Amino acid sequence: MSLVIICRRTLSDLKQHLYTQLVTTVVVSLSILIFSFFTLIYFNLHQFVERFGTELGLVVFLTEKTPQEKIPVLYQRLTGLPGVERVTYISPEQAFKRLKDYLKDEKDVLEGIDPKFLPPSFEVKINRAIFHLKKLRLLAREIGHWPEVSRVQYGQTWIERLESFLRFYRILVLVSGVLLVFTAAFVVANTIKLTVYARQEELKVMRLVGATNSFIQGPFLFEAFIQGLLGSGLAIGIVFVCYRYLQGLTSGSELLRGIHVYFLPWPYILAIITISILFCVSGTAISMWRFLRQ
Amino acid sequence: MAFSQPSLLPDYIEAIFFIMFFKGSPVIIRLQKVTKRYPPDNTVFSDIDLEIERGEFIFLTGPSGIGKTTMLRLLFCAERPTSGEIWIDGVALSSVSNSQIPYLRRKIGMIFQDFRLLSDHTVFDNVALSLEVTGLKREQSRDRVVKVLEGVGLAGKMRQYPFQLSGGEQQRVAIARAVVNRPAIVLADEPTGNLDQERTNEVMMLMEELNARGATVVFATHDDRLYKNTHRRIVKL
Repeated sequence: MSLVIICRRTLSDLKQHLYTQLVTTVVVSLSILIFSFFTLIYFNLHQFVERFGTELGLVVFLTEKTPQEKIPVLYQRLTGLPGVERVTYISPEQAFKRLKDYLKDEKDVLEGIDPKFLPPSFEVKINRAIFHLKKLRLLAREIGHWPEVSRVQYGQTWIERLESFLRFYRILVLVSGVLLVFTAAFVVANTIKLTVYARQEELKVMRLVGATNSFIQGPFLFEAFIQGLLGSGLAIGIVFVCYRYLQGLTSGSELLRGIHVYFLPWPYILAIITISILFCVSGTAISMWRFLRQ
Repeated sequence: MAFSQPSLLPDYIEAIFFIMFFKGSPVIIRLQKVTKRYPPDNTVFSDIDLEIERGEFIFLTGPSGIGKTTMLRLLFCAERPTSGEIWIDGVALSSVSNSQIPYLRRKIGMIFQDFRLLSDHTVFDNVALSLEVTGLKREQSRDRVVKVLEGVGLAGKMRQYPFQLSGGEQQRVAIARAVVNRPAIVLADEPTGNLDQERTNEVMMLMEELNARGATVVFATHDDRLYKNTHRRIVKL
């Protein structure tokens, strides 16, 4: 059967069964919409944790016994580490001054205390573009083993809390994703089955007049392709509108200004569209196969 | 009725089937010890031997439920016999695979009591479907469909839908659909069962005309009025 005949018959079928086609497309679209929205939230949280962790950078505390002449050597060593953007040395005096500034009206509590009581430290700024949270942790562990270093801080508590939340959310997304996929599969498969059932007489007549299975299946599969494409396209379009709305909210609010909202990257979008199409086409193929083997 | 006969060979598979079909043997349908049994133990008929010659018009008769429809379904490959063999123009149906059945059906026109028309398709589209499934484009099949509809007296109702037609007209559309491919065999399953006497006569005249043009007709009916004054062969099940 030529492509022209398939296209013509598909168009004619779409016109004749417009309501059923629309219902199937909306069902596909809603299923994909919920899934895409979850994916968008997960993706943004993941990005947030990555950014937050690396923005904190590292604070390397030295032991009190570290001789002054070792400081430039350590500075050079830290600067030479991969992914390190900038290193700043904070002497005990500078640290003491910072503490005083921080305490403001309560600085009297530091009266009589040796200004050198705080340990010297390095503030290490990380290049965010090439650095990830996992690498940051490894780097901190590596620096922590240096004999001159007493402790390395990188906002572990915050990051660990965020990470554990993210782990929980990842499981939630996965479980919901699997459930959604099954629900969508069930709903789409049944909608398609109903479509095939509603057109059973037509299919029987086609077989009666000598239509081959490919002649019967062709337009159905093409329709499923269009439904998958339109359904997922519509869902992603709605998610994009939501994303633009959220973006407007974050840029308009003083409180949320620092938070960047990201849209789903192209590979995600392509994967969602491909899965949606595969889903519809395979669902139709299975329903048709069940009918045609009778 | 004026039936033209353009080429209906869009692909090589159909060509092979065409060659397989037109061997020129006088016997076009042959049944040998055909038995049909449904589980658990419902035997519809057993050990049927029958030969139908090319161009013959036979009545397949017997009371309701005797197996006339089942017999036609076997000839049409809608079902397989439990045992025995059926030959259609020399081709043993047991050797026809499921994927080859559509090509076989294009050589057999089938007419039913309940018409089996597509209600959301026009009269023209219903008839054109038989040609469309063979791969013919609409432009190629238009003239042929129009001629066939003229032949059954429905040229003026091509754009109408089946529900806008009377029972007799609907049956004529079904006949046009069955014969637009110029099949060698026409199987009719109680085609007058839902029609009054006048429409029945119209349908019978069309069937006679089809037969006069060379088609082998197997007409299944329980209505003895249709065959009691005829010279046609009567096969009682």
